[in-house]
Amino acid sequence: MKVLVIEDSKEIASSLHDFLAREGYICELAETFDEARTKLSLFTYDCILLDIMLPDGNGLELLKFIRAENIQSGVLIISAKDALDDKVTGLEIGADDYITKPFHLPELHARLRAIYRRKQLSGSSMISFNEISLNTDTLEATVNDTLLEITRKEFELLLYLIVNKNRVLSRQSIATHLWGDYTDNLANFDFVYQHIKNLRKKISAANGADYIATVYGLGYKFNASAAVK
Amino acid sequence: MKLVDKFTLWFIGIIVLTTPVTAYICYHNLVKNIDKTEISQLSALNETTASRMEKGLPIGEAPKGSSLSVTPLQTALPEDRVQIEKTNSDDKGFISLLTVNSYYTIKGQPYRISSNNYIPGSKQIMNAIMDTIIWKLLIIIVCVSITARLVSARILQSLKLTIKQIQRFNVKKKVQFPVTRTHEFRELNEFLQRTTDKAVDEYVAIKEFSENASHELQTPLAILRNKLELLSETNIEEDQATLLGDMQNAIERLSKIHRSLTLIAKLENNEYAVSESIKFCRIAKDVLAAYEDRIEMKHLSVHTDFGSNVQLKIHPMLADMLMNNLLGNAVRHNVDNGNIDIRLTAQRLIVSNTGLPPEMPTDELFQRFKKSNQCSDSVGLGLSIVKQICDVSGFCVSYSYKNRIHTLQVDFQPAPKAVVTPVPLDNLAAAAQPAIV
Repeated sequence: MKVLVIEDSKEIASSLHDFLAREGYICELAETFDEARTKLSLFTYDCILLDIMLPDGNGLELLKFIRAENIQSGVLIISAKDALDDKVTGLEIGADDYITKPFHLPELHARLRAIYRRKQLSGSSMISFNEISLNTDTLEATVNDTLLEITRKEFELLLYLIVNKNRVLSRQSIATHLWGDYTDNLANFDFVYQHIKNLRKKISAANGADYIATVYGLGYKFNASAAVK
Repeated sequence: MKLVDKFTLWFIGIIVLTTPVTAYICYHNLVKNIDKTEISQLSALNETTASRMEKGLPIGEAPKGSSLSVTPLQTALPEDRVQIEKTNSDDKGFISLLTVNSYYTIKGQPYRISSNNYIPGSKQIMNAIMDTIIWKLLIIIVCVSITARLVSARILQSLKLTIKQIQRFNVKKKVQFPVTRTHEFRELNEFLQRTTDKAVDEYVAIKEFSENASHELQTPLAILRNKLELLSETNIEEDQATLLGDMQNAIERLSKIHRSLTLIAKLENNEYAVSESIKFCRIAKDVLAAYEDRIEMKHLSVHTDFGSNVQLKIHPMLADMLMNNLLGNAVRHNVDNGNIDIRLTAQRLIVSNTGLPPEMPTDELFQRFKKSNQCSDSVGLGLSIVKQICDVSGFCVSYSYKNRIHTLQVDFQPAPKAVVTPVPLDNLAAAAQPAIV
């Protein structure tokens, strides 16, 4: 996947670059409105990460430019503003999704993948990893062609883990992914733990490998290299 | 009382007060003038009679209504050649008899020539004046009342416009006050124009500041969080992982606090004003569905009683947040195998749940950063947000703890000035009681 990161904060841009590069994506950076417009005119990208506040212009204007030029890339808006107006306007102008700072990198990645699936893989709803297959339309998961009896949250969790395989997923990031983050409640890690536990139980019941590992002190990890049972 | 009524009453009051004084002056002047005219006429009659007698002519007839008499005197003429007598000619004082005695020496013989006439008595004059005053007062009151209304509508037009403008004023938008030629209104409008413009400017400045602050804080938070995430994927030891985990927790907390405070500030700025109603019952059901997994994990039993078609005037995002905070609390502060009871009607929403007794008076829990159990998985802003959302939407929220049940009640149409406070004594009594489940 080829991604253009339009972000004026060098530190965030470099985090995004490092994270996405490890996934094997080609990641280009643009720090300003003009630079971004030039790159968009010259090259094509699968996905664009767009910061709304740029030093020399508004990201929403850039979004209008992208849609006016009929650029087919998926657009994920990154904003520090939690302003609802921006969100609504952004999605109306034609962004595919919206994420607010401070975001979790795996969360951003999951959303990027979702956009990519919808846009570039022409809406393919199947995600497979070894013996595990997920259908994002029907929310059905199979292991070795056996249908797993899992809840919607467990499905979302498994999808999140597989998209971010071999990554350490903090409990905060999992909690935010499952339940959103606009309540006062801090992530209740007991619930995360129980969901993980149930998921592992259900996968191994279907003779799947135990991919999900606990990372001491931090969270969990979908270990792609786990030995098949 | 309306301004025009006040003016009218004062005006009428002044007229009523001054009328007796003017009536007295009027009476006095009338009596004086009637007497003066009559005296001069009668004196002239006496004079004419005297000169006729001098010339040896007959005395002649007195004019109609008056009488004339000539009396020869035995004594010398009195010093005062003209004497005036005024007597009441009836008991009631309606008619007075005015007599003018003139003394003359005609052909060596002293005479007294008396003429008299009936004039209106004090009572009659008084009655006439009273009649006039009553009519005058009536006419003035009617005229003043009518014209005051007609004229005030014109004069107070500008004031009315100003009041309308100020009622509709919202800090988000500047308003233009009407131009008027009335000095006081012009001063008022100029003052209001300055004040409202300033309020709008300051609102914009604060909004910009909080937005900038939000941006400036979110970016370093995002950097910290992302760098920690990258760091946690490098080869690290277990003790380093613990440190990283703690840091991630701290960032999580910081981010929540910041987001909640920004939200409260926005609510205080009234940024979520709405004019349309939404189906609150639908949102309530959706939010409850989102908590399904956590309710199940804690083995809570939920009883719901959702009224159908509950329409409320509230921003959809706030409705969502309100339900999320209430339900989140009900789940989080619950005990395993506990209960949650949710009742929603067009009048109120009641969320009650089992839980440990609060460690402070329940109404204090609406204050920012007040936490009952000081449990570490909360930042203590949830109920402040609930309160703020209720304030913004014109709802009234109250919290009570009784018989081991926490109850949060949101009244959608609170009675004006109704003070809904749980009685603290009840709490203490309930806490001291043995548990009844």
